[in-house]
Amino acid sequence: MTSARLAALSVVVAVGAVAAYIALLRVPVVRNHPEAYVVAFAAATTLAALALRRSRRWYAWLALGLSTLLLVAGTWTNFVVARIPATPTALRVGERPPDFTLPDASGRPVSLADYRGRKPVILIFYRGYW
Amino acid sequence: MAELQGLGAELSAAEQAGVEIIAVAPDPNERSQKMAEGLRLAYRFVADPDLAVTRRYGLVHAGGGPDGRDVPRPATAVLDRDGIVRWFSASTNYQVRPDPADVRRAVHALSSPR
Repeated sequence: MTSARLAALSVVVAVGAVAAYIALLRVPVVRNHPEAYVVAFAAATTLAALALRRSRRWYAWLALGLSTLLLVAGTWTNFVVARIPATPTALRVGERPPDFTLPDASGRPVSLADYRGRKPVILIFYRGYW
Repeated sequence: MAELQGLGAELSAAEQAGVEIIAVAPDPNERSQKMAEGLRLAYRFVADPDLAVTRRYGLVHAGGGPDGRDVPRPATAVLDRDGIVRWFSASTNYQVRPDPADVRRAVHALSSPR
């Protein structure tokens, strides 16, 4: 493959990975494997390095710069910024968690204990409206 | 919110009727409730603005939010009729959320004979 084609492929892989991740964020298998974009950026960096080895043209440098930047940013995001320290939690399989009472959207109190003996409960803690 | 939308798509109407879905978040929950109604999901959104319950449950991501604020650590538990935890998943990477298909399997497992 020519240097220009390798450089172009590198950019397509790098930018495509970003676009695919954003577009498919609602798909659990994509959302739950964020390390896949790091792998794609590494592949793009390799392609750019190969392009540069064929010829030291501006586009090969551009592809290498872009893919390296994304690789560093992606690695940093996924392995450092997005890490949540594992903390001991009150939700343990086989145990009854502590009861709580919190207001719902209309201000009515909701207690976990209200459902005991009545209904199974899916209890979700989420970060907010995003 | 993606995990909530995914769960709504995964669980049938009958499954949603047989289980109570309680979603705990720190933000004002009128918006969340409106969104759930738009998606026809049977959620009860409850507000834990100061994270008191979230903290008691050990599910705070200290300094993990904008401006270093504390935010909840995404987590999902399935409790049986007696209030015992039968399935639990908490994320160690904020990009990752419990897979709705796993939650559905855990709900199914409640009704199958043990």
